[in-house]
Amino acid sequence: MSEFLFELNMLDSLLLLSAVTVAIAILCRVEYISGGVVTLLYLAQLVVVGMMISAGGVFSSHLTPQLFGYELGWLLDGLGLYFTLITVGSALLATLYMAGEWGRRYREQGKSFRALQSLLALNVFTMQLLLASSDLLSLFISWELASWAAFALMALSGGKGLKAALHYMIYAFSGAMLVFAVVAWIATTAVTAAYQLDINGAGILQFSSVAELMQQGIFTIPEQLLMLTLLLIGFGIKMGLLPFHLWQAPAYALSIGPAGAFLGAISSRLGLFAIIVVLFKIFGSITDGSILQSSFGFEFASVTPKTLLAWIAVATIIFPTFVAMRQNDARHLLAWHGIGQGGYMLLGLVMMDSLGSAGGLLHVFNHATYQAALFLAVTSVIYRTGTADLNRLGGLVVRMPLSFMTLLIGIIGLAGLPPMNGFVSKWLVYRSLLDQGELLLFVGAVIGTLGTILSVYKLIHNMFLGSLRKEHEEVREVSWSMLTPMLILSALILLTGLFPGIPLQWVAQGLSAVGLPVAEFNLGGVMADGGSLDMVIVSMVLFSGFGVAALIFYFVGGKSKRVNPLDNYAGGHFLYASNRYHYSNNFYAGLMHLIKPWYKNTFQRLERVVVTLLELTAESLSRLYMRPHSNQLALIIVVLLLW
Amino acid sequence: MKEIKVENRREGNILSRVFDELNEFCRARSLFILHYCTGCGAIELPPVMTSRFDMERLGVQPMVTPRQADILLITGYVSIKTLKRVMLTYEQMGSPKYVIGICSCTVNGGMYWQSYATAKKLDEYMPVDLYIAGCMPRPEAIISGLRSLIRNIELGESNNWKKYYENYDYYLGNQQKLFGDEWQTPVDVIGEAEHYGLVGEGTYGEHTEILQRVQQPLKPLEMRL
Ligand code: SF4
Repeated sequence: MSEFLFELNMLDSLLLLSAVTVAIAILCRVEYISGGVVTLLYLAQLVVVGMMISAGGVFSSHLTPQLFGYELGWLLDGLGLYFTLITVGSALLATLYMAGEWGRRYREQGKSFRALQSLLALNVFTMQLLLASSDLLSLFISWELASWAAFALMALSGGKGLKAALHYMIYAFSGAMLVFAVVAWIATTAVTAAYQLDINGAGILQFSSVAELMQQGIFTIPEQLLMLTLLLIGFGIKMGLLPFHLWQAPAYALSIGPAGAFLGAISSRLGLFAIIVVLFKIFGSITDGSILQSSFGFEFASVTPKTLLAWIAVATIIFPTFVAMRQNDARHLLAWHGIGQGGYMLLGLVMMDSLGSAGGLLHVFNHATYQAALFLAVTSVIYRTGTADLNRLGGLVVRMPLSFMTLLIGIIGLAGLPPMNGFVSKWLVYRSLLDQGELLLFVGAVIGTLGTILSVYKLIHNMFLGSLRKEHEEVREVSWSMLTPMLILSALILLTGLFPGIPLQWVAQGLSAVGLPVAEFNLGGVMADGGSLDMVIVSMVLFSGFGVAALIFYFVGGKSKRVNPLDNYAGGHFLYASNRYHYSNNFYAGLMHLIKPWYKNTFQRLERVVVTLLELTAESLSRLYMRPHSNQLALIIVVLLLW
Repeated sequence: MKEIKVENRREGNILSRVFDELNEFCRARSLFILHYCTGCGAIELPPVMTSRFDMERLGVQPMVTPRQADILLITGYVSIKTLKRVMLTYEQMGSPKYVIGICSCTVNGGMYWQSYATAKKLDEYMPVDLYIAGCMPRPEAIISGLRSLIRNIELGESNNWKKYYENYDYYLGNQQKLFGDEWQTPVDVIGEAEHYGLVGEGTYGEHTEILQRVQQPLKPLEMRL
């Protein structure tokens, strides 16, 4: 036994630690201790991941079970490590958030803190399995596990959340079926091919062997394109790619506060991870470049899978962002943005040059930091006021200044403005679009950013600015146990905005693991021909502008004076506390008047059509076998099938 | 004969004089007006603002809130109800602030002299820097009025806003006569007078005593952790 322990490498110990975390979260009955212990265990996991990253290279696990004669294996390279780091980090901060006062109130409401914590830990564990999978079968199995774990975590909130989770499950199932179909297709063909090509049959489903099969031309190009499409749909569902995005926002928004933060930060990025694996590990190394560049075999050659994917990404940016703008619940607004931001990541990655792919992958980290910060800040507001309804809040900045700060830093990151980290990744994506002359895509991405800026302003204005409601006079800032993770995240957003070199280093490891070009970077930014980015200078310029204004405001003259929000101008009217002067309902009425015709709920209708069609088929089929003489019918069918 | 304005400030050292002059030079060239369009005179403002007379060439622009505005433009007769709003708006403006009364009605009530519902003389309620008389004055008159205000500001002669603080009791008394003893705005004028160091002989008096009795002060919301 000791010998076995001695042989554990870092990936084994990470997975073991993760499993132990799940076990302790399930077993530990003393709930106020388990919060702290589990947090410490996540910290230990984070340390292991950090060690692995600093060691670099590829780690393979000793865990190699056989299934149906195929060897399953787990192997963590730079790409998986990057995602694992984000997963464990966001789990750590979410657990830290709920370890103290939040968890106590949760238990006092008679809900099971243990269930919440163990499901979160289970999510982390299954996600680690997925991120370390090294062949199609282990990918599929851990994909299923992760989907179920995510479903359970979403369903825990009950009520509407349960309904949203079921909605997710239907989508996830259909996606998994598509993936399974491709895996089965490749598996059956590969066995015969393995003999011809003299590859070890047990390891035939490994990504590298499958890539080899693709390269050898075992499958024709149209076959490969079909596979690619099925896989992209299957994994794109998890990522919320248009038109399969409808499940995501309600599912994340309605899950329990910190769990929502975790899911929103990283869960749907697993879809992106799988898409990267498919695009660049399996299909990436096809003769003469990548399959993405190949035309569809017809003669309008300019439409390649690459342009198609890029346009899907841009659609994923624009539509959900503008849907987010119409939301009146802070969590729904953020969750819709989560879908839109996924578009930037895919857009950057399919550009496939050094800047774009770095931007796309970097955006995963950046998005995780600010999305978690935003969700936690909103959860804090809900904790104190009991609502996230944007029409029933306002003026909270004087009562919850640190939550306001977190939200402010978070939305600047989300909107992609300097000096926060979201700016860096978006800048990289924009640069790559411009470099490749994709002006229309660029305009699309910018329209998305515009929508983001507008809607995050609505978010912060309706919650924190304007006049304080009477019933919120006595609201206090949340406790330090909840503030700490929020402040850590804010610091991260600022720090990685100022020094994007830190996360770019991990991104570079990830990119080289899948064979994408790596941009030249230093601590402060990225070097590129025709204009590089140095965030230290950008931030300095920005802060000196603010600094001059602040100097004048606070020191020169010193004539500023604080006033009550009711001492405000409303066309000369006197304002009273009973009659609030806070414009939140029907926000952006003017803009909405202009763009309202564009909101057509097309995707909801499309979904309803599919559902109705399915119901119709099911109904008519059930008519067949519910008939009095169904046994004769069955006989006929069996005979026909045999024949 | 036209009177020639002569620079009359000779105090202070040369450095502070240069700074003051620079300050006033800049201030006079960037004036935001809040046009409180009370009466018929407002109809003459659109031509003043738009391309024909174009007040922006003087550096004058409309502004939407009193906090950022420099000039309060009262454009006609002021009913008592309106005057309450005008007072609130005036008090909410940040110093230095200037008031222009357009139309004869603001000077002495004009053709509404006999009305029970209008305030007759605007400068009983707030210090007025400039009147532009006429029923109603033409855009040219308004432009020339603006020019003379600009000149006054540049010469440092438009300091009427200080009078409001220094003689607050007088203005408040007139306001109380019209609006009753319960009259108050959320703005703490006495506090501001102390803050700016503009407490004069007429700042306190019997009327401010009444005010302090009835006032329900609006404290700024404290930032609470
Ligand atoms: S002066 Fe004449 S135009 Fe001006 S408000 Fe009075 S009545 Fe109207």
